Amino acid sequence: MKMLPTRNSTLPLHRAGFVSVPAMLDYAARGETGVTFYNARGEQLSALPWREVRERAHVVARKLIGAGFARGERILITADTWPGFFDAFFGAQYAGLLPVPVSIPVGIGGKDAYLDQLRRQLAASGAVAAVGLDDLAGYLADAAREFPAVRLHGGMDALYALPEKPVDLRPLGADEQCYIQFSSGSTRHPHGVQITQRALMANLAGMVGPAGLDVVEGDRAVSWLPLYHDMGLIGFLMAPLSTQISIDYLTPRDFARRPMQWLNLISRNRCTISYSPSFGYDLAVRRGAAQVPPDLDLRCWRHAGIGGDMVRADVLERFATTFAPFGFDSTAFIPSYGMAEVCLAITFCPHDTEVRTDAVDRTALAEAQRAVPAADPNDHQRARRFVICGRVLPGHQLEVRGPDGAVLADREVGRIFVSGPSVMPGYFGEPEASREVLVDGWLDTGDLGYMLDGEIVVTGRAKDLIIVNGRNVWPQDIEWAVEAKRVVKNGDAAAFSIDTGEGERVVVAVLARVSGEEARASLARDVAGAVREAIAVDCDVALVPPTLGLPTTSSGKLSRARTKANYLAGLYAPKPEAA
Amino acid sequence: MIVETDGMTDTLERARVSGQSRGEVIREICRHLAPFQTGERPITGDTVIAKDLTIDSLAIMDMVMELEDHFDISIPMNVVAEIHTVDQLADTIQKLCARR
Repeated sequence: MKMLPTRNSTLPLHRAGFVSVPAMLDYAARGETGVTFYNARGEQLSALPWREVRERAHVVARKLIGAGFARGERILITADTWPGFFDAFFGAQYAGLLPVPVSIPVGIGGKDAYLDQLRRQLAASGAVAAVGLDDLAGYLADAAREFPAVRLHGGMDALYALPEKPVDLRPLGADEQCYIQFSSGSTRHPHGVQITQRALMANLAGMVGPAGLDVVEGDRAVSWLPLYHDMGLIGFLMAPLSTQISIDYLTPRDFARRPMQWLNLISRNRCTISYSPSFGYDLAVRRGAAQVPPDLDLRCWRHAGIGGDMVRADVLERFATTFAPFGFDSTAFIPSYGMAEVCLAITFCPHDTEVRTDAVDRTALAEAQRAVPAADPNDHQRARRFVICGRVLPGHQLEVRGPDGAVLADREVGRIFVSGPSVMPGYFGEPEASREVLVDGWLDTGDLGYMLDGEIVVTGRAKDLIIVNGRNVWPQDIEWAVEAKRVVKNGDAAAFSIDTGEGERVVVAVLARVSGEEARASLARDVAGAVREAIAVDCDVALVPPTLGLPTTSSGKLSRARTKANYLAGLYAPKPEAA
Repeated sequence: MIVETDGMTDTLERARVSGQSRGEVIREICRHLAPFQTGERPITGDTVIAKDLTIDSLAIMDMVMELEDHFDISIPMNVVAEIHTVDQLADTIQKLCARR
């Protein structure tokens, strides 16, 4: 199969500035570039020029309109990386429907948890159709059973089987929504971020412009990021589309199995832009370094973006050291910060500089919420190093505020707020949850950080959210998984994460109402097993003496922060390893 | 220690159907799982992979991939999501081998 070209022969590169997703695709379809799908062996599975993506989307749109779906209705799509997703997503755009991309099941034994998730997403989005991989047709049918509003469900074949009617297309316009992004809130109470065409266009303009990735003629992208996440869908589908460049895809599964294929693709196809959370760079070093082909050549990679979780300097340094002999240039790293509530990106670091870090005194940080420069940056006991994540995109504002709402000075740690054209109008059908985070046009990101000469340094999350291997995991979901398996009683589990210096480690503290070494070991095993099975996350289990109980807040709610403090203080068994 | 829970007739019947001996399939699975065995409990057909062993999610994915390569099959993700025990994994592999 021929490789899709990196440049269009005659079509001039337009860098964003479109009014809608259909308008972007209409323009890109006039060139020869497009998307290519690769398997775990690095073999090309299929290639769709943007022109073909558009043609197929038109057919799907006429089927959807012909089937009677009304403008603005939602269509849930299991977002695996394959042409079927493009058909459904862009078909919906031309049919005036809002796609709701959702994840696919992870790991073994995850069926029940996945079905629960699908049902919650169907409920939260009020979807009228649910389609995706043919393998998942049975799951979609199961999940849709309780939702009479879902008039069409199944694999993409169910959608392709609809008759194509001679109807006018009704593409989503500049003033309309674009899709619904699930990524915020716990999986039990998922919040769907409303992505509007206007906000998306504004975010794309910032992202591909000079303050962002500065996409130019000759750029080519590679991605293994899941398309149900903002970084995958916007960063590595919408952004390439908005600049008419070609992109080469691996599925997230294939990346996790064979991380070297990511770098091989970059090298072989002379790609210039690729992104990953820190954990992807880590995986490439840990599992890929032993199988580096001798001809790997990463000199072409000019923007190696990092986002999606806390950017970790040590991980990036290891990656740079490992792959420098293969032409990787550490000034290609671009740390960035963002969240689905602003579509994707809100800050980028400048180009062509090394990753910059700020080492602060741990004690002042923890006790006074002040980022005081560490006396000795290399004393890891006393100093904590954070990556500086850059300036806010043009046309947007970012503030760090204290508990009283006042804007803080440099090096004072507070909550990060952002405003500007990329900010969401709210969560779909959730006015109350929306009001909690949107105040006077400002979004409360729930993240903590401090300013440093106009750049943001993110230090952690105000909420209890846990991020493991780039996945957001809510502690409630972990606790519920343990309680649902009847391993412990409701209210007897508290989940939190600790920073191991290498990454986050999940700890589940449970009341140990059993005695004897064997029973205690068995309890710990069951808790870890329940979490692994339901959430596909590995955890440490801390046993809390029933006499001590789990700490609660003044209003009687479980206090995860105090549970964590007790754990770190060595009150539970086993005691944490010294960090 | 590996203990097969199936009766001999059952095992032979399945092997005949699949052309892939169940013993071989179980042995191959257990070869991957053995490092994750906890305490004195042996790995048996009833062992719940994600729960009874200390195997983490990435290692499970690795194992599934290596089993796919070894037996030259592809286990669909919906089928993977319904597998809990060693026996269920072995059944799946044998079924897919028979269809090959």
